[in-house]
Amino acid sequence: MSSTDIGVAKRPLEKAISHLSDWEGFLLAVLVLTIIVNASMSDVFLTVNNQINLFQLSIEKIIVALIMTLIIINAEIDLSVASMMGLAACAFGWLFLHGVPIGLAVPIVLLIGVLGGAFNAFFITVMGLPSLVVTLAMLIGYRGLARVLVEDRGITDFPAWFDALGQQPLIGPFPLSLLIFFALLAFLVVVLHFTGFGRYVYMIGNNKEMAVYSGVAVNRVKATLFIASGAISALAGLLFAARVGAVRGDVALGFELDIITMVLLGGISIFGGRGTLFGAIFAILIVLNLRNGMALANITHHLQTGVIGVLLILSVLLPNLRSMLRQFRETRASARS
Amino acid sequence: MSKYFGMTEALKDFSLDIHPGEIHAVVGENGAGKSTMIKIMTGVYQCSSGEMLVHGERVLFHGTGDAQARGIAAIYQEPMVFPDLDVAENIFLSHRGLGPFVNWRRTYADARKLIARLGVTLEEDRNANGLTLAEQQTVEIARALSLDVKVLIMDEPTSSLSAHEVEKLMGIARTLRAEGVAIIFISHRLEEVFQIADRVTVLRDGRLISTRPIGDVTADGLISEMVGRDAGEFFARSERKKRDKLALDVRDLTLDGVFSSVSFNVNEGEVLCFAGLVGARRTDVALSIFGVRPADSGEIAVGSEIVRIRSPQDAMKLGIAYVSEDRRKLGLAMTMPVVANATLATLRKYMSKIGLLNRGREIEMALRYRRRLNIRTPDVDREVGDLSGGNQQKVMLAKWLDAEPRILIFDEPTRGIDVGAKAEVHSIINGLAESGVAIIVISSDLPEVLALADRIVVMREGQQMGVFDGETATQESIIRLATGQSSNEVAA
Repeated sequence: MSSTDIGVAKRPLEKAISHLSDWEGFLLAVLVLTIIVNASMSDVFLTVNNQINLFQLSIEKIIVALIMTLIIINAEIDLSVASMMGLAACAFGWLFLHGVPIGLAVPIVLLIGVLGGAFNAFFITVMGLPSLVVTLAMLIGYRGLARVLVEDRGITDFPAWFDALGQQPLIGPFPLSLLIFFALLAFLVVVLHFTGFGRYVYMIGNNKEMAVYSGVAVNRVKATLFIASGAISALAGLLFAARVGAVRGDVALGFELDIITMVLLGGISIFGGRGTLFGAIFAILIVLNLRNGMALANITHHLQTGVIGVLLILSVLLPNLRSMLRQFRETRASARS
Repeated sequence: MSKYFGMTEALKDFSLDIHPGEIHAVVGENGAGKSTMIKIMTGVYQCSSGEMLVHGERVLFHGTGDAQARGIAAIYQEPMVFPDLDVAENIFLSHRGLGPFVNWRRTYADARKLIARLGVTLEEDRNANGLTLAEQQTVEIARALSLDVKVLIMDEPTSSLSAHEVEKLMGIARTLRAEGVAIIFISHRLEEVFQIADRVTVLRDGRLISTRPIGDVTADGLISEMVGRDAGEFFARSERKKRDKLALDVRDLTLDGVFSSVSFNVNEGEVLCFAGLVGARRTDVALSIFGVRPADSGEIAVGSEIVRIRSPQDAMKLGIAYVSEDRRKLGLAMTMPVVANATLATLRKYMSKIGLLNRGREIEMALRYRRRLNIRTPDVDREVGDLSGGNQQKVMLAKWLDAEPRILIFDEPTRGIDVGAKAEVHSIINGLAESGVAIIVISSDLPEVLALADRIVVMREGQQMGVFDGETATQESIIRLATGQSSNEVAA
């Protein structure tokens, strides 16, 4: 009881352990189980190369899922991310086709991402429209723009060094995209969990009105998140172009749903205010390993998607189920007495 | 009819019997077990031991539907009506088994009859979103009546009502009593308990302290039983020395269609109270000073300087703080820890240059205020929603005190909190005034206004009706201005 005397219930480590009984703990258990089963099925599963390969195949979604985590904790949503990835990739292809050097095209594309995010942010903060509607409109808008830029073509023939950047290891066994992921993850963990900005993200997600009444610059926080989301989505689009070595109008089509699934699976509440980046990371790892394992076991892609869907429903159901069970037990106990 | 039950934890060995045609008041501080009692009676919780008898028959409720079927219903301080439905639809909301089609003509006719039975006027086809809180409560009571209610539990029904509306509600309660309905009346306002109750039960710390006929108890006696110590002087005025330095000067403040030409000033170390009925637009005036909804015209001067306040950030920079009446919506993030709520308004103080939070200093701050304001929480990492209403109020206070405001606006600072916490909040307000903070208190609780105020501004429907000196004002004189009645009508 000495710890309560100083007014803090648990030290960080104790807290982390008690968290394991939460959704994040469940995710970790599922992850470990998946890895054990997968490893028993295949010798190559636990090799560094296989794990990196796993990541690389979905790296663009994973990178965007990181910023999506912050947006959903903020009680907003950005449905336009995949279309922005497509627009970025297509804009890059168009610039390349028109002779703009890659060194210049990349910053231009990133700027497009920033502007796109700012466009979303304007309608959501200044005009006060719901982000669900605004970004749904931009999901259509940015995709349309992407298709206009490249029409029915596929743009390939990027320089070999550019494609290599997307495909080959850069430092040790890690390709550029994975390095960017690690850097962004570390940065966002610090931002969300250790800075005042992160606290604002949670507080606004919990109770936006209250945050306004407490003098929090709510619109500035929201705008920052949506602009970051635009820029990161554009970056992910570029990484996609480099990895695949080609650009078409349907780049990243429908990715937004996979991205949001990963985030929600990580125990981040769709109503905002709850969840952590760690939960999101666990969920991402589970999705990757589960799919890989099921592929190893020759389970079809459609069935894999079904399993992910069941997990998602569980992620919403399980916390509620636990309290229902507790209530049921109490009722029975009282009926007996 | 009687109920007995004994329960562990929140409620211990508790017994209560209620008779038809009786108004039975239950009083106690927050956390005394009143809510638990209601939840057991209405079937939300099940008691872990003991039993409950209705009309001599042992009952076991598995849900609120079971309780409803036995004729037990509850209304709360925040009425639950559906804003897009009309009065009649809201009344007959929970009726089942009437067949697939609604007989609209009968619905409206029945609604009219029920409302007439309550002795009030309310059009049965009015949309619920235009109703006042008091009218919404009437709808809830009519709904309970339509379900053939035998026991009606009223949980703090008057805490959001104006004096006039309270009178009406009392009338309804008396009508129901005459019809043989048993009413359990829960209130923090003891004068109401004395006005209406036949018997009164005191709860403290989940235990039954006493149940007695109202004629056998005194207000001081009840209070000391509730808090477990002598009442002393809960509502005594404290003397303050007057200072002449102007802190806030408001001239002709107008927000079109809401309030007009509001002018007042507050000195440093002075407590200015805003009295008035619900709908007097006092909160709107406060919000325009705090920058949430800036006024259309008029001047605000802080110190001697005329200022423009366009947002809460502007107001906070000028040293103005606003403690909202709506803790849940506007005051706290209920699922966040005490410490995160306490530091929110001043979070910059706890950030490094690059924005990193210093958690150690945050906790130190929360502990400091836990001591200073006597916030009862075992640890400051607890979700603020787990605390009792009075302690939540203090967390909200900590948040604003940390900003060291020069002008502090309290909106209904003691609504829905218990007597003990109320006295603590009053002493905090007095202490702040003592230290030179200019304080504005919006309150519908007239004894509170009279106990706190150096001066009193009375508002009615967006108009400033007058200013009283706190020492010479009386409840009657304030109500007269607030209701716009002539003195004869008040006396009658």
